[in-house]
Order: sequence, then C-alpha cells, then structure tokens
Amino acid sequence: MKDLKTYLESGILEQYVLGDLSKDEMLEVERYVVQYPEIRRELEEIENALQKYAQQNAIEPSVRNRSKIIDALEIPGNKNEVPVKQIEKASGTTKFYKYAFAASLSLLFISIILLINLNNKLRESYTQIAVLESGNQKFSNQVNYIENELTEAKNTLQYYRNPASYKLITLKGSEKAPDARVTLAFNPDREEVMIDMSNLKMPSNDNEHQYQLWAIVDGKPVDLGVFDSGSSTAGMKKMKSVKSAEAFAVTLEPRGGSISPSLEQMMAMGNI
Amino acid sequence: MGRKTKISLTEPELIQAIQNKDKIGAEALYDMYSSSLYGVIYRIVLHEEIAEDLLQETFIRIWNSFSSYDTSRGKLFTWMVNIARNIAIDKTRSKDFRNSSKTENIENNVLSIEGNFQSEMNPETLGLKELVEKLKPDQKMVLDLVYYKGYTHVEVAEQLEIPLGTVKTRLRNAIITLRKVFN
Repeated sequence: MKDLKTYLESGILEQYVLGDLSKDEMLEVERYVVQYPEIRRELEEIENALQKYAQQNAIEPSVRNRSKIIDALEIPGNKNEVPVKQIEKASGTTKFYKYAFAASLSLLFISIILLINLNNKLRESYTQIAVLESGNQKFSNQVNYIENELTEAKNTLQYYRNPASYKLITLKGSEKAPDARVTLAFNPDREEVMIDMSNLKMPSNDNEHQYQLWAIVDGKPVDLGVFDSGSSTAGMKKMKSVKSAEAFAVTLEPRGGSISPSLEQMMAMGNI
Repeated sequence: MGRKTKISLTEPELIQAIQNKDKIGAEALYDMYSSSLYGVIYRIVLHEEIAEDLLQETFIRIWNSFSSYDTSRGKLFTWMVNIARNIAIDKTRSKDFRNSSKTENIENNVLSIEGNFQSEMNPETLGLKELVEKLKPDQKMVLDLVYYKGYTHVEVAEQLEIPLGTVKTRLRNAIITLRKVFN
C-alpha cells in the first residue's frame, strides 16, 4: 500500500460496494480490508450510506407479497417440504432418464449388430436362391428340350407307322458324297413332302451354301425348298408341296437356293 | 393475518436464523429489507407486477445461496442489494422486457421517479428528505445511473460524455454527501 489516502479517494471502495469491480480487484479490496482498519471503517461508512439511501428510497410492496414470498422460501419441517420433494423427484427422473438413455443406446448397438448379421445372411440366401434358380432353369430347359425331342420323335414315328399314306424314299449319296443319305416321307394325296431330319446323313454345309431338294416331275426338276445339315435338327421338316414325282434329288446350292439345280453339285438322289 | 408489528432482529441474529433456515429468519428478512429492496427493484424496472416477481426471485436467491454470503466481505444489505440489482438489471436487458416496455430516455426515468414516490417514503427517514436533496444533481445522476440502472462506471462516462475520473469523483462525492447526511 503506497498511499492510504490516495487509495481511499480513488473511488475503488465505492465501486466495490456497488459491485462494479472485477474478481481480482475485489479480492485485492478484501485483502486490504483485513489489513487496514482505516479501509474497513471507510468501507463500512460507504455501505451504511448506501443502505440508508436505499431505505430512504424504500417502497413498501403490497401486503399480499409477504406470505407469498415467505411461503416460497424453503423452510425445513414446515409446509414448504413440497418443493424439496419436487427437487428430489426431478433428480430421480433425471437419473431414470440417464439409465434409460444408456439402455436405449446399448439396445441400439445390439440392434445394429443383429441387423448387419441378418443382412449378411439375407445376402447369402439370395446367392443360394440364385444358384438354385439357375439349376432349376437348367433342369426345366432340359425337360423342355427332351419334351421337344420326344414330340418330334413321336411325329416322326407316325410317318413310319403309316406306310399306306406316306411313302418312305431313301435318297442315296452320289459320287461326291458316297455316304450321304436322306430319308423323305411323301404323301401324294396330301401333297406333302417331309425330310426326316433326325435321320439325315449329309456333310455339314457352310454359311454360304444350303442343300436344295428337288422333285423330278416329267423329267424336269421342281424346287421343294432348302435345308441345312449339321445344326442340331430333329423331327420332320416339311418341304414345298408336290403332287407327284418320279424321283427326288438334293444339290448343294448358294444359300437361299437356285432356280434350277446345279447338276455338278448333285449330292443325293432316289427314285420312288 | 394482518400482522401489525414487523419482526426485527440484529444483523448477527438474522444471519444465524437464515443459516438455520428458521421461519423467523425468513419473516425477519422480509420485514427488515423488503421495502428497501423493492424500492431499488421498482426504480430499475418501473413496473409493479414485474417488480413484485423480481422481489420474490431476489428473496429466493438470497435464501438459497446464503452460504455464499461472507460477513468478512461486507454488510448483509450490500450483498442482498447487489443480488436484487443484478436480477432487476438482467430483467431490463432481457428481450421480453425490452419488447414490453418503451425504451424511454434513461435520464428521464431516473429523474421521473422522484415525483412519484416521495409521498410513500419511509416515515423513519422522512426527516432526511431535505438533506438528501443536498445531493448535487450531477452527483445524483451518476449515483442513480450506477445504483438504479446498473451502469458500470465506464458506461456512465460514455452515456454522460464525461471522463471516467469525473464519474468516480462525482460518485465518491455523492456518497460522501450521503454519509454526512446520515451520520
């Protein structure tokens, strides 16, 4: 303390009483108050003056405030236990919410783990189902294929079993294809000519060429349509109609067939 | 009940009773200080209903945080009146309060109070009225801005456009005048 008088006159004690000092400044004043009786006396006088000033400016609040305010103060062992209970209740509730929150959180975690697990299993199941389905598809394709084969075979069989209506004509290979053999079923009444594809023995044709079937009618070739050899063919292939024929012949022609047969490409021939 | 006699205790007795949370402590606290504190609060908010609510809030805070009052730091009233002032000033600075009341010129507020309440002044101190009027207007202005408006010294200096040193001097002189009057 350099100069007590200067300190007292600085106005800091007035600021202290009016609550207009920082925490540090307040602590300093409080230290000096303990150390210097002069400061303590000065401070008390300032406090007294301001208290008197407040008393002089006092306003009596209306009477109803007295019991209302005194009742609002918590006095133990009085009727004012209610607010205490409320506080306890409130803290109990907070506790409950804390636990509830923690419980919800762990439930959430467990749920998430279960969900991930389930999701993985679901994905596995989907894969298995896809595998099974493709297997299933394969089987049903096979069944369809076999059914088709069977139908074709039955159809074919029908021609062979019916020699009265269908004449079976075997066309034998020419010099160009000695092993070739084509079986036809011919029904003059219905003007039907069928090739037994399942019994076809011809060298495979390429993409630019096709076999063409001809009927020899009155010594002239009549176009009966084209066919392929080598691809998976089964059953009876119906060709163009013809009423009568002396003979049938197969030539190799450019794809789509020719108007008249290329005799040098004669592959097979057979008389009725 | 219409109690005629107000309960009054000495300051140490009152402090003891409040610390014990005795009912008599609550009653004495109210009877001894409600009008002084209400006067301060009312002058800050200038609204009867709000001032009554804030008076209750002030007493509840005094009652519940009484353990933080330290006799070595000063008088009980100094501690209590600063609680009341802080509560009331916080209220005036809150949004809902500013929306509800017209912002009047502060100086007018401070000065307008006097006319309204002189008639209701505490009879015990009524004789002092003339003496208080010895306060020079500029001293009173500074004191009331700090005491009833919660202005810091710096804010008073800005508001009145005078140096901070002048604010401190005027405030000190105002309080010295009060001391002479009351002693």
